[in-house]
Amino acid sequence: MFKKVLIANRGEIARRIMRACRQLQIKTAAIYSDADKDAFYLQEADEIYNIGPANPLKSYLNNEAIISAIKKAGADAVHPGYGFLSENYSFAEAVVSSGVTWIGPPPDVMKAIESKCYCREIASRVNVPIIPGTKAPFGNLDDLYKAIDEFGLPAFLKLDKGGGGKGIEVIQDMAQVREVWERVLRVGMVAFDSTDCYLETQVVNPRHIEIQFISDKSGNCICLGERECSPQRKHQKIIEESPSPVVGKKERLALYDYTRKLVVGMGYEGAGTIEFLRSNQGEFHFMEVNARLQVEHPVTEFLSGVDIVKSQLEIAAGENLPLKQEDIKLDGHAIEARVYAEDPVTFSPSPGKITKLQFPDMDSRHLRIDHAIEEGSSVLPYYDSLIAKVIVWDTTRPKAIDRLAEALTAFKVEGIKTTIPLNLQILASEEYRDGDFDTSLVEILLK
Amino acid sequence: MEATISAHMPGLVARVIVGEGDHVSKGETVAVINCMKTELAVISEHDGKVKQVLVKEWDEMDVGSPMIILESNEVK
Repeated sequence: MFKKVLIANRGEIARRIMRACRQLQIKTAAIYSDADKDAFYLQEADEIYNIGPANPLKSYLNNEAIISAIKKAGADAVHPGYGFLSENYSFAEAVVSSGVTWIGPPPDVMKAIESKCYCREIASRVNVPIIPGTKAPFGNLDDLYKAIDEFGLPAFLKLDKGGGGKGIEVIQDMAQVREVWERVLRVGMVAFDSTDCYLETQVVNPRHIEIQFISDKSGNCICLGERECSPQRKHQKIIEESPSPVVGKKERLALYDYTRKLVVGMGYEGAGTIEFLRSNQGEFHFMEVNARLQVEHPVTEFLSGVDIVKSQLEIAAGENLPLKQEDIKLDGHAIEARVYAEDPVTFSPSPGKITKLQFPDMDSRHLRIDHAIEEGSSVLPYYDSLIAKVIVWDTTRPKAIDRLAEALTAFKVEGIKTTIPLNLQILASEEYRDGDFDTSLVEILLK
Repeated sequence: MEATISAHMPGLVARVIVGEGDHVSKGETVAVINCMKTELAVISEHDGKVKQVLVKEWDEMDVGSPMIILESNEVK
């Protein structure tokens, strides 16, 4: 096993990874920007390294500064967390070529699957249904018109190498084509260094359902159930649960089968997620691969009892998974609420100092809170607005919903605005309680 | 007289849209601040001519940090 892992991230996920390392008796090296120098969680690391100014481009996204911290620390592995450089194959390659283990899929696999069209191609090759649309990426307006001719409108224009909800826009009618095209191209140029696009027809009233898997180097791939992630705001998830109210045993097995075929097709090793869209007719379509640990991984951990971060460390160290698919038992129901520092109605960011903080008090079998905040600490404007993940488990879905509502009601954060009122509104809604919702739920509730 | 356009949110300057000498109308977006990965428009509350741009891309802003100075004929 590794002796020292450098965590190339910040906040709650850096803390989460440190916890797994401690349990495996691995030393941790944390990195921090000038803006994070007083963050309390840095005390939980064995060593800390400054990697530059607040601006993430110059710190948490700065390959060179982080590689130099890795060398200074003498770390033998790097865990990238989620976001930042976690899906950046150049960084992964730089880590590997400096003789350090990358805790994630192999860099050449990361490079290939960065292209959504490549993944769509693999999916169709192994008979996993994809959303109808173009398979090869295109880069000019004429090709977009041709694609519209073939697949019709409304449709989504998406960046082949986009992500994080960016570079995705719907085209409703012909009059919008040029305008949307130009907007998506601009996002591609600014944010992703690539303007390759593809067109996907619009799945009506879709639900977003994903499968968490872990695959080791010897080809043993286990699936850890699905996560229902349809409640979203600004194309980003806000409440996730497992199991999904619309996935039965039969659907789950089909999704597991799709997942394994894709994992083999991609040559993927490590933990990852396959995202699917479910149409209102109940058909599942492959959407994309998330080649990293995901924000919502605790939902699966709470339900399955499998520690995904520990498994990542073990697999990266060359160990085989000690588990087989038949060992995976999914009992009860787990739900996660993401608490963002945002206005709960307008979603306008709300950075600032947390003047008062009180966490709900519940036993650890039923409640887990992943966070990196404390009273008096500041939520910084330079980084993501996620401040805490409140995860509950109970024997049934209704009980889990009640429990999460109870926990969120007792969670007091003052000094900044948070989405707790919206989280509670979702949980209280008839649509959510009935399990009868899709990705438009939040929009409908806020009307 | 002069009018200062200041940051209404903390964050990083994502873009400065106007340059020195440009004419700016009331309600026009003059810069964009990136706060928690959300882009927020900084809007001029005055008509005028840009006298000085005080910030550049990726500068760190607090609420009230001065960004742009306008020469304005309006009476404040």
